This record gives sequence, C-alpha cells and structure tokens, in this order.
Amino acid sequence: MSKSKEIISIERRLTLTKFNIYKEPHIIVDTSKCEKCEEKPCIYACPAGLYQLDENGKLVFIYEGCLECGTCRLICPYGAVSWEYPPGGYGVWYKFG
Amino acid sequence: MSEKFDVIVIGGGPAGLSTAYFLAKKGIETVVLERGPESGSKNVFGGRIYSYVLDRHFPGWRKEAPVERWVRRERLAISCKDSTVTIEFRPYRSEDGRYDSFTAFLSKFVAWLAEKAEEEGAMVLTSTKVDEILFKDEYASGVRTGGEELYSDYVVIAEGINTLLSERHKLRNEPRLSTTALGVKEVIRVKKEIINERFNVNDWEGVAEFILGYPLLGVAGGGFLYTMKEYITLGAVVRLSAIREKKIAMKDLAELLRIHPAIRDLVRDGTLIEYSAHLTREGGFLDVVKKPYGNGYVIVGDAAGFLLNTGFTIRGVDMAIESGRIAAEAIAKAHETGKRDEKTLSYYKELLDDSTIIKNLKEFSKLPEFLENERLYKDYPEVVCDVLSVAYTTEERTKRIYPALKESMKNHGINIITLLSDIIKARGAI
Repeated sequence: MSKSKEIISIERRLTLTKFNIYKEPHIIVDTSKCEKCEEKPCIYACPAGLYQLDENGKLVFIYEGCLECGTCRLICPYGAVSWEYPPGGYGVWYKFG
Repeated sequence: MSEKFDVIVIGGGPAGLSTAYFLAKKGIETVVLERGPESGSKNVFGGRIYSYVLDRHFPGWRKEAPVERWVRRERLAISCKDSTVTIEFRPYRSEDGRYDSFTAFLSKFVAWLAEKAEEEGAMVLTSTKVDEILFKDEYASGVRTGGEELYSDYVVIAEGINTLLSERHKLRNEPRLSTTALGVKEVIRVKKEIINERFNVNDWEGVAEFILGYPLLGVAGGGFLYTMKEYITLGAVVRLSAIREKKIAMKDLAELLRIHPAIRDLVRDGTLIEYSAHLTREGGFLDVVKKPYGNGYVIVGDAAGFLLNTGFTIRGVDMAIESGRIAAEAIAKAHETGKRDEKTLSYYKELLDDSTIIKNLKEFSKLPEFLENERLYKDYPEVVCDVLSVAYTTEERTKRIYPALKESMKNHGINIITLLSDIIKARGAI
C-alpha cells in the first residue's frame, strides 16, 4: 500500500476483514423485481460491492463479504431485499470496529 | 426447556451492556443476548468516545478501559480538489480531564463493557441471535432464539440501528433514507512513533479530524480521521438519500479519501488491516422513537435513535450508555412492585425527557435539516480554498483577496441573499 496512489479493489480489501460465513445466505434478493428497476441503487450503495450486473445485464447478489450494514434493505426502491442478520456467531467478525 | 430471567437484553452493544451493568449492580438477574461470536464483534463506529459518562459511573475506568489516545487536537479539514484548508483547535485541558474524549475501537471498548457487566453479575451470551420477541397477552415476555424460547419479566431492546425486531413488532418505524447515513471505515496500521511525529503528538495524545468537501463535493456527508495508538482510522459518512441521488460508489469512497494528497502522506507506509461499514443516524430528535417503552419492554441506544451529530461532534456511545443507565433505573423501580405495564414503564420516558439526552437532541432539532444544504459541502468549502489560494499565491503581482472572494462567490452562485439566508438558518440550527 505504501507507494500506492491507486485504489485497492474492494475484493482485496474484503480479504482483510474476518468472516465466519454461514452455509446459507442471510439476504435474499427477489431479482424478478430488479428487472423493472432502472436505478438499481444497491449497485453503488453497497459498501462491499456485492450487487453486480452479470453479462446479460441481470442483477446478481453475493452474500459472502456482507458487512451487515443494512443499506440495501433501506435503499432498494422495490422492496426486493429480504434482509436478516446471519445466524448467531456467523457473518462478519470485526476486530477493529 | 425454557428459562426465565428478570430481564433479557437484546443486543450486546454499548446500550445493551450498559443497561445490563446497571441492572446487575442493583441485583436484578439479567441476560444479554448478542448475535456476534464475541462481544464487540459486530460493533463499528468512527473512533471517539466522550468520557464524562464513564467518569460518572465507572470508577477506575481510566486505568482499565481500552483507551487508544486522548483527543488533544480537533481538526477540520476543508478539502478541495487542488488544496486543503485545515483549522486546528488545540485545547490545553485541565488535569482532571473531566470534559475529555478519547479515541478507541468500539469492538474493544464493547468487549471491556461486557466484562464490566459480567463482573456485576450479568450474563452475556454471545453467538445468540434473537429471531422474535415473544408477546404474551400483549406483554413482551421473552424471546425466541434459534429453536429456544427464553422468558423474562422485562425485555430491553438494544438491537442497534437496524431495528428489524422493533419494526416487525411495530414498535418503531423503519429508518428514513434522508436521516440515515452509511459510514465506511478503514483501519490502517502505522507505527506509533510515526503517528506521533506526523501529527505532532506524544504517546497518549490523539487527533480527531473532520473532512469536509472532496471526495464528497456537494454531497451531504463528510470524512473522518482518528489516530489510535498504532493505527489510523479513516472513513466517510454519507446520507442514504444522497448516495441514491448522486450515485456515490460507496465501496471506493474510503479509498478516494486515502489517496487524496491531504491524507496520503498521513497514512504513508501504513498497512490496511480492516475495512468495515455501518449505518448511523443523522436525524437527531427526528429519529427518536416517540414511545420508547410499552408493556414489558423498553428501547435503548441507537435502536431508540439516541445519536447527536452537531456537524462538529458526533455523540453516540455516551448517549447509549446513559440511556442504558436510565432504562435500568426505570426497570428497577418497576421490578420493586412487580409491575410490567406500560404506564409503570413510562417512567423511563419521563426520566429520558428530563435527561440531557433528550434535552440536547431537542436543542439541535433544526440542525439535521440545516446540514442537508449542499452549499455546505461544495460551494462554501471551494470559496474558502479559492480565496486562500489567492492569498497565499505570489506571482509577480500580489492579488487582493476581496475581489477574489467576490469572484469565487459569483462562480459558485452565492449572492448576498443566499449567504444571509444560510446564516439565518445556521443561527437557529447551531
């Protein structure tokens, strides 16, 4: 990082944060609702960049790497995000929060 | 098998653990249910705690608590694309340090608070997520966690800003986009001696810095920087409504700050060790739940909306601890008579209304709206940078700064009317 004037990618940054990932996702996105959503604010609002478009322009969501902030639940204009915390003991494990 | 306690606290953050600490002190059997694998593992904040509340109620805390550095430099950086203006306030505080604040990692501070609650006899169960509050005859009477049901006379809701349970049981409304902000934070390890040198501080002195403007030009939000013993925390906070409107790419925001010329040299040769994100409230009194109590329950801390952001200072942890203390007071009084009805527990609100928490939030009730003014985040910072860049630039001819001020204001569309109107609004808000 020392000489870097470049942005460290989110993928690399997320490897620094500790996770205890549960086998099933705690957030379910009803992507059928996303089709009519032009704005898709989840894509730029998610601080972990977990909402992306695939090659066909369809929204995909990855739950591993979720920082459990709750932004997507609130910012989704179509209520497509069913948001829960991971089960007790799982998910992100902050050491320096 | 079901177990029964006097009090179940949902959430082992600052508010929940404080409630448990004060309840246990009074001999009331209390269990804290925390979803994280260890106390503090789900907690994130910027980096500063105000100490008056600890001085008052936690004897000897200054020797035990995980204090990183005592804040002795308050800085406001007005950051433009090509320059930065920094104002530093350096109070020479008295020896007793009563009005101090210190930098900390909330994860570590909360772990300490959990120890304190346990020392008093409270039970803290980690890896325990509450799925549902159990209501029996319209009284909160316990919780369901995993397959298990736990019962209690009183339930303390300390679930933090994501008020999933409170919303599900219709105890409060969902956080608003316009008054909820996302904070992202990076923790960068930098050698202690280097921090001391770069910030002109000794081993125990710290810096708290607010960054206005770039990379959040024109966006209701700001950056922050705190010095820890051997780390620098760096981050930014932006309102959800602004993220949506301006399409701010949040995942790279802390990085834009880190590589900005004004910050880059402060964190040079550092190692990034953790990236985190958390929501925070910006609505002040607007976000406070109207009825923080009901049959068998009270709501404390962030879940109740107790956070004050004055633009210069952000107070969350002290308010969380204080609301926990007050909740414990109200529950203890109810417990004496065995009553659990909402009329009895309304004593909590009575105490709150009379406390500095509510009085202070009310005093600043016009501020959140004032802070939505985009001129604060783009035009005014840029005018300051423009004028000072003229003042401090010498070519052959030294320029006068008043014409530069006039021109810069004109370029930013600020006339005397907008300026006066903003000053008048500021008068009511700050």
